[in-house]
Amino acid sequence: MRLPPFQLHRPETLQEAVSLLAQHGEEARPIAGGTAMVPMMRFGFLRPEHVVSLKGIPGLDEISESDDGLRIGALTPLYRVAGSAVVRAQWPLLARAVGSVATPAIRNSGTLGGNLSYAEAASDPAPALLALEASVLLTGPEGDRTVPITGFFQGFYEADIRPGEVLVEVSIPRIPAGARWSYLRFAARSREDKPLVNVAVVATSEGVRIGLGGVSPTAIRARRAEAVLQGPGLTPQAIDEAADAAAEECDPLSDLMGTAEYRQDMVRVWLRRALTGLQ
Amino acid sequence: MPTKTHVQTRINGENIEFLCEPRQSLLECLRDVLQLTGSKEGCNDGNCGACTVLLDDRIVTSCLVLGVEVEGKEISTVEGLAQGNSLHPLQQAFLENAALQCGICTPGFLVAAKALLDREPDPSEERIRFWLANNLCRCTGYDKIIRAVMDAAGKMQETKA
Ligand SMILES: Cc1cc2nc3c(=O)[nH]c(=O)nc-3n(C[C@H](O)[C@H](O)[C@H](O)COP(=O)(O)OP(=O)(O)OC[C@H]3O[C@@H](n4cnc5c(N)ncnc54)[C@H](O)[C@@H]3O)c2cc1C
Ligand code: FES
Ligand code: FES
Repeated sequence: MRLPPFQLHRPETLQEAVSLLAQHGEEARPIAGGTAMVPMMRFGFLRPEHVVSLKGIPGLDEISESDDGLRIGALTPLYRVAGSAVVRAQWPLLARAVGSVATPAIRNSGTLGGNLSYAEAASDPAPALLALEASVLLTGPEGDRTVPITGFFQGFYEADIRPGEVLVEVSIPRIPAGARWSYLRFAARSREDKPLVNVAVVATSEGVRIGLGGVSPTAIRARRAEAVLQGPGLTPQAIDEAADAAAEECDPLSDLMGTAEYRQDMVRVWLRRALTGLQ
Repeated sequence: MPTKTHVQTRINGENIEFLCEPRQSLLECLRDVLQLTGSKEGCNDGNCGACTVLLDDRIVTSCLVLGVEVEGKEISTVEGLAQGNSLHPLQQAFLENAALQCGICTPGFLVAAKALLDREPDPSEERIRFWLANNLCRCTGYDKIIRAVMDAAGKMQETKA
C-alpha cells in the first residue's frame, strides 16, 4: 500500500517549522523518525497535505546535563538516550525504559519526542518520565510553553500539543540521593512486543511515584496507589493494598494483546513485583 | 503529476542519484526506482524486518523511512554483501546451515546480522537473538538462522586470526 500524496517541507530552523505548521493548520503534521507517522499515513489514520520534517533542524538532538537535571532534545533518537553515559549513570530508570522500546532498528529511527507526541498508552518511556516528574518544552506561534509530563498525555493518542507547536525538549529533574527505582514491562507474547503493562517506580524519602503504561487510554501516574504507600511505606501489606488501588484506578482497553480484565490483573501483579524489587 | 525530488546518496559504496516522490519510502525507492530488489516488503509497518538496510551504519526498517530523507546519507543493502562472485561468510553460512526456505526474510536477516558482527565479532547466542528480534521468519523456526550467524562469526574470527 502506497502512502497518500503530500508535500514534504524540510525547514532548517525551528521558527520556519513553526510557521509552516501554523500556516497549514490542520492540513500539516510534523514528522521526526517516521516510525509512527509512516504507518499512520499508510493505513489511512492520517492524511496530512503537508508534512514538516524536523530532522534537518540543528540542535534538537542533544543531551545535556546541568545542576538542575537533564535535558534531552526531542529529536534525539531512542538509541542515543538509552546508550548515553550520563543517562545510564544518573537516570538509570530512563535508560532502562528507553532501551526497552521494541528493537534496535526501531530505536535507531524513533525519537524520544516522537514517542511522547504519539501519546501511545503502551509507551516504554512515558511511565518512566511520569515517575521522574519530567516536563516538556513546546515552541509554537505564541511562544514557548512548559508542560509537566503529568498533564501532557490527554487521551487516547492525544498529547497537549497545540496547532503549530513543536515539542522541543524534555527536562528531567535530578533524582535525590538514596532514591530507589524499578522498571518492569510485561509483553504477553514476545519480549519485543509493545508492553501489555509497564510499571516505573521512583521511591524517595518523600514518597513513592508510580507511572503505569498500557492500562489506560494514556500512560498515567497511579496517584491512589502512591497515596496508599504514603503513611506505612513499603510494608508487604501496603504493597498489596497499593497494587489493588492501582488496578482500581486504571482504565484499560481490550485489544488483541489482552482483555481489560487481564490487564487489570497484570497491573496488580507487576506493580507488586516492581515495589518489592526496587533497586 | 506530483513534483519529484532529486536525491543524492551513496548506496553500497557508489554515488547514486535518483528522483522520487515525497511519499515513496526508502524501500520503494530501492526496489521500484533503483531496481535494487534484494530488500523485501513484508509488513510495510516496521514489524517484520524484511526491508532492513543500513542507514549511516545503523539498521533501520526502510519501509518507515521516506526516500527523500536519505539525501547525503550512506546506505548499505544486501546487494553490497557479496564481493563479485564470492559470497559474504554470512551468506555462505546461511546456505550451509539451510537457514532459509522461501527466502523473503533472508536479506533483512543478512543485513542485520552483518551490522552486529561488524560491531561485535563474537556475540553470544542471546545477544544474536535480541539483535535479530526485529526480523521475522515464517519458515525456518529461527534456530538455523541463529546457528548460521554463530557459524559465520566463528569463521570470520578464524580468517582474521
Ligand atoms: C514495530 C514497532 C514496534 C514498537 N514498539 C514499541 C515499544 O515496544 N515501546 C514503545 O514505547 N514504543 C514502541 N513503538 C513506537 C515507537 O517508539 C514510536 O513510533 C517512536 O518513538 C515515534 O518516534 P518517531 O520519531 O518515529 O515519531 P514520528 O513517527 O515521526 O511521529 C510520531 C507522532 O509524533 C508527532 N511528532 C513527532 N515529533 C514531534 C515533535 N518534536 N513535536 C511535535 N510533534 C511531533 C508526529 O506528528 C506524529 O504524530 C514501536 C513502533 C514500531 C513501528
Ligand atoms: S516491510 Fe519493513 S519491517 Fe516489514
Ligand atoms: S525463509 Fe521464509 S520467511 Fe524466513
